[in-house]
Amino acid sequence: MKANYVSGGRAASMLDPDGAAWKDARSETISMIGTPLGLQPTEAIRASWSDKSIGAVSKVSVAALHDGKQLAFRLEWDSPTENREIGDTTAFPDAASVALPARKDAPLITMGMPGSAVNAWYWRADDEGKARQVVAEGLGTSRTVDTNLVAGRGVWKEGRWAVVLSRALRVASDEPVAQLAPGEKAAFAVAVWEGSRGERGGIKAFSQNWRELTLQPLPTKGNS
Amino acid sequence: MAKPERQLAMVMDLNKCIGCQTCTIACKRLWTRDEGMEYQWWNSVNTQPGRGTPRDWESMGGGFREGKARPGRMPTAKDFGEAWNFNHEEVFFGGKGDKVHLEVKGEKPDWGPNWDEDQGAGEYPNAYYFYLPRICNHCTHPACLEACPRKAIEKREQDGVVLINEDRCRGYRFCMEACPYKKIYFNHSKSVSQKCIFCFPRVEQGVANACARQCPGRVRFVGYRDDKEAPIWKLVDKWKVAIPLHPEYGTEPNVFYVPPIAPPRFDENGNADMSKPRIPDEYLASLFGPKVFEALATLKEEMAKARAGEKSELMDLLIAYRWNEMFGGLDRDPATIEWVET
Repeated sequence: MKANYVSGGRAASMLDPDGAAWKDARSETISMIGTPLGLQPTEAIRASWSDKSIGAVSKVSVAALHDGKQLAFRLEWDSPTENREIGDTTAFPDAASVALPARKDAPLITMGMPGSAVNAWYWRADDEGKARQVVAEGLGTSRTVDTNLVAGRGVWKEGRWAVVLSRALRVASDEPVAQLAPGEKAAFAVAVWEGSRGERGGIKAFSQNWRELTLQPLPTKGNS
Repeated sequence: MAKPERQLAMVMDLNKCIGCQTCTIACKRLWTRDEGMEYQWWNSVNTQPGRGTPRDWESMGGGFREGKARPGRMPTAKDFGEAWNFNHEEVFFGGKGDKVHLEVKGEKPDWGPNWDEDQGAGEYPNAYYFYLPRICNHCTHPACLEACPRKAIEKREQDGVVLINEDRCRGYRFCMEACPYKKIYFNHSKSVSQKCIFCFPRVEQGVANACARQCPGRVRFVGYRDDKEAPIWKLVDKWKVAIPLHPEYGTEPNVFYVPPIAPPRFDENGNADMSKPRIPDEYLASLFGPKVFEALATLKEEMAKARAGEKSELMDLLIAYRWNEMFGGLDRDPATIEWVET
């Protein structure tokens, strides 16, 4: 997938899922599968999900743009109910994330491994505007490393979520997070949680493999 | 999870509990007054037999069966019993005189945390009930800790207290499903799970838990399991009269109960009928397992001894002549400490 360069007013609208920048951005439909039961990190979770299906969302439409400073992903998927509020103890919010390997060899299926982290940008519908940057180095190790570097916004309309997650290409962080640059190749994966089905934590739909992401080079000076 | 060096424990003598809820309020005033905690009762006291708090919690699963995690159900806010708002304003300042009375605002509740108080079971003159106070059991094999995918729950090495780290918790509530005692609450304001902390900030200063210290009935003993000079070890290990609730849940609670001995039954002529107990054996066994019979036998034997004027260490312990000897040395007066709210 390509993350095209946008500038000016279009770049400014990148954080809005309905923004002009996304009107003619090329999106790809990615098939999703549920995370394997056997890889859920605790026996209690494996026991309570053994007779339930995991990964309610089967496909997500993804597009990406950058403005030379920020990289933004726009995820869109079918979700019949807007689960924003927790409300009762038994209710869970919808959520989405984009994962990037902090190092090229980070395995996605296990959410990284010790010394080779997976970096995730995570948005949850009950936390609107407070997206998190997460680092994981193996199953059950994910931790929030900051709550101010990733921006997330979600709009639910007519049975579909459109969510934008964005972050600066390069960030000053002591944590193993992805560092990106225009003109370079990166990799990404996406995950979606359907709150109405009790999906949370490792119970989610994900895009199985890393996908290549090419960040369009910046236009050469005088040519823009 | 490493085995903790020591384990704090509590014993509650059900023969002395009068259901006054002083423990419940002591806990509420101290720990669960913030926004999002309105419906949380880390300490609850329910009438048995009864549906309990949350409603029908004993049928919600969780814990372990034959050493394997048993799936559990999540109680709803209604099962816990929501915090009600009353029409105080209207009654006290509405100028409506006796045309209004105090009532819950909005939807009429059909359940609350102590809804079936004093109902019990049985028929007059042989009706029976007793009170069952409950806190988190700070289990040796905590189902909540083992269920959490974020390792947000720890069992403290120094005293075995089970705590939720709210910085790691993301509010997934797998712990609420897994806890078979349903003693974990979700904070809707902070989006994290919360529960009884065994008053660890008090205990660290040598002060017994608020629920124990405030108990007018001298029901609760506190202390370390391995302290052979203190009441906990004597009641649990030496005399074996204090036993866990629902041992079949497989979590090995560190809260123990001295089971209740009801008054004798009456026969049709109004005479005491000692041939069978007022509280059915099967019922007590369903709560405390088969060890309840051994505990009751010991209690009756020692009661008889005391009645006959003989010395009984066990009866002396349970009577608790000096209340601050119930706390295994955690007898410091909290008023002598300057507490800082953080």
